[in-house]
Amino acid sequence: MIIVDDVYKRYRSDHGMGKWVLQGVSFTVPPKLNVGLVGRNGAGKSTLLRLIGGIDTPTRGLVERRCRVSWPMGFGGGLAASLTGRQNAKFVCRIHGHEQDLQDRLRYIEDFAELGDSFDEPIKTYSSGMKSRLQFGLSLAFDFDVYISDEITATGDAAFKDKAAAAFRALSDRAGLIMVSHGEGTLKEFCKAGILLHGGQAYWFDSINDALTEYKKSLHR
Amino acid sequence: MQRVVPGIDYSLFIATGILGFILAKNTATRSKEAINANDTLFTYRQVFPVDTVLVRAALEGLLFLISALCLVAGLGLFGYEVFPHDFLRVLSGFVALWMAGIGLGLTFSVASQLIPESGKVSGMLFGPLYFLSGIMYPPSAIPPAYQSWFLLNPFVHGIETVRTGFFPQYHTIPGVSMGYLLAFAMVTICLGLALHVRFATRLVAK
Repeated sequence: MIIVDDVYKRYRSDHGMGKWVLQGVSFTVPPKLNVGLVGRNGAGKSTLLRLIGGIDTPTRGLVERRCRVSWPMGFGGGLAASLTGRQNAKFVCRIHGHEQDLQDRLRYIEDFAELGDSFDEPIKTYSSGMKSRLQFGLSLAFDFDVYISDEITATGDAAFKDKAAAAFRALSDRAGLIMVSHGEGTLKEFCKAGILLHGGQAYWFDSINDALTEYKKSLHR
Repeated sequence: MQRVVPGIDYSLFIATGILGFILAKNTATRSKEAINANDTLFTYRQVFPVDTVLVRAALEGLLFLISALCLVAGLGLFGYEVFPHDFLRVLSGFVALWMAGIGLGLTFSVASQLIPESGKVSGMLFGPLYFLSGIMYPPSAIPPAYQSWFLLNPFVHGIETVRTGFFPQYHTIPGVSMGYLLAFAMVTICLGLALHVRFATRLVAK
């Protein structure tokens, strides 16, 4: 369960404090529920994911994670460019305390990402699709209760999307997903519930279809 | 070259000076850049900015050890007297210089994130310091009236300690003290760690 309670967030800019990105956002994500996060560009989707992932702190309010939450995967974050895919995978296994079964995890990541020989090439030679394959494999190698994805599926090809969807269906009895995507099909395929971010506020919808309908209405307002 | 420091080989004299200065400078400047260079790793909440700084400082120490050993071995092959008469004193001098580098790196790494201009200024600082640390000349060449000013530079104390440990017949100027350098290292390390704790969230926020 993840509880977001009255969260306000603004960033420091070069000229003082910036404007509020999130203003009083509150919701609770129940366990094992897949939630899609929608909103226009700059609405604060990635900011909210970073807050939920615990890599940034709210200016005011509280984010409570009563479960194991993955890091927000997306846009090549979390991969050191000069290291190979394997070295990155080793690093992530080690900071998550999996020194003992390192080889098993590495084999899983290698199999899932299907990068072939590129797994032993530096990340800077990867395409964005290859990076998302690796990131996805990395986070699935650990038993998180909630996985956070920031447009990770956007750069993957059809085969990878199918594989990711299948992996999440297999996980659905023990893990949830919070994802940002601009692809309507992707959201409908992966998610059940939806959150619409608009004007610094969050609106919860029990059905992703309602969230998407409301999102489209908010675009024309 | 016998004129510069009587009874001491000038190449070894310079080598000790440059090694000591480079150790402190590289540790400070490389760890200062650690936060920027590794910001993708802050995606994992297990990784703190201070981790990247400390790891870089440790790496710089290791690289220094390897390059110093290569240099000493090379000079030894050419017939120089490379075995210090007081090994522990040489080692303690280098360790203290390294710690001063860590302290400066910790402090500058936070400062240059909060105020980017300060990073550039701190980088420029090492240019003049190179000439003010008694690397190519012995501190005894400084007129006694100005020696107290000269000794404000903490690196001088480390470099001179290394030299007195290396050459049995080397006489440094009065006022050189390891305590001064160690105090400097302690203050900057504590200040740097405190800054890292105080601004932990600011350093990760984009």
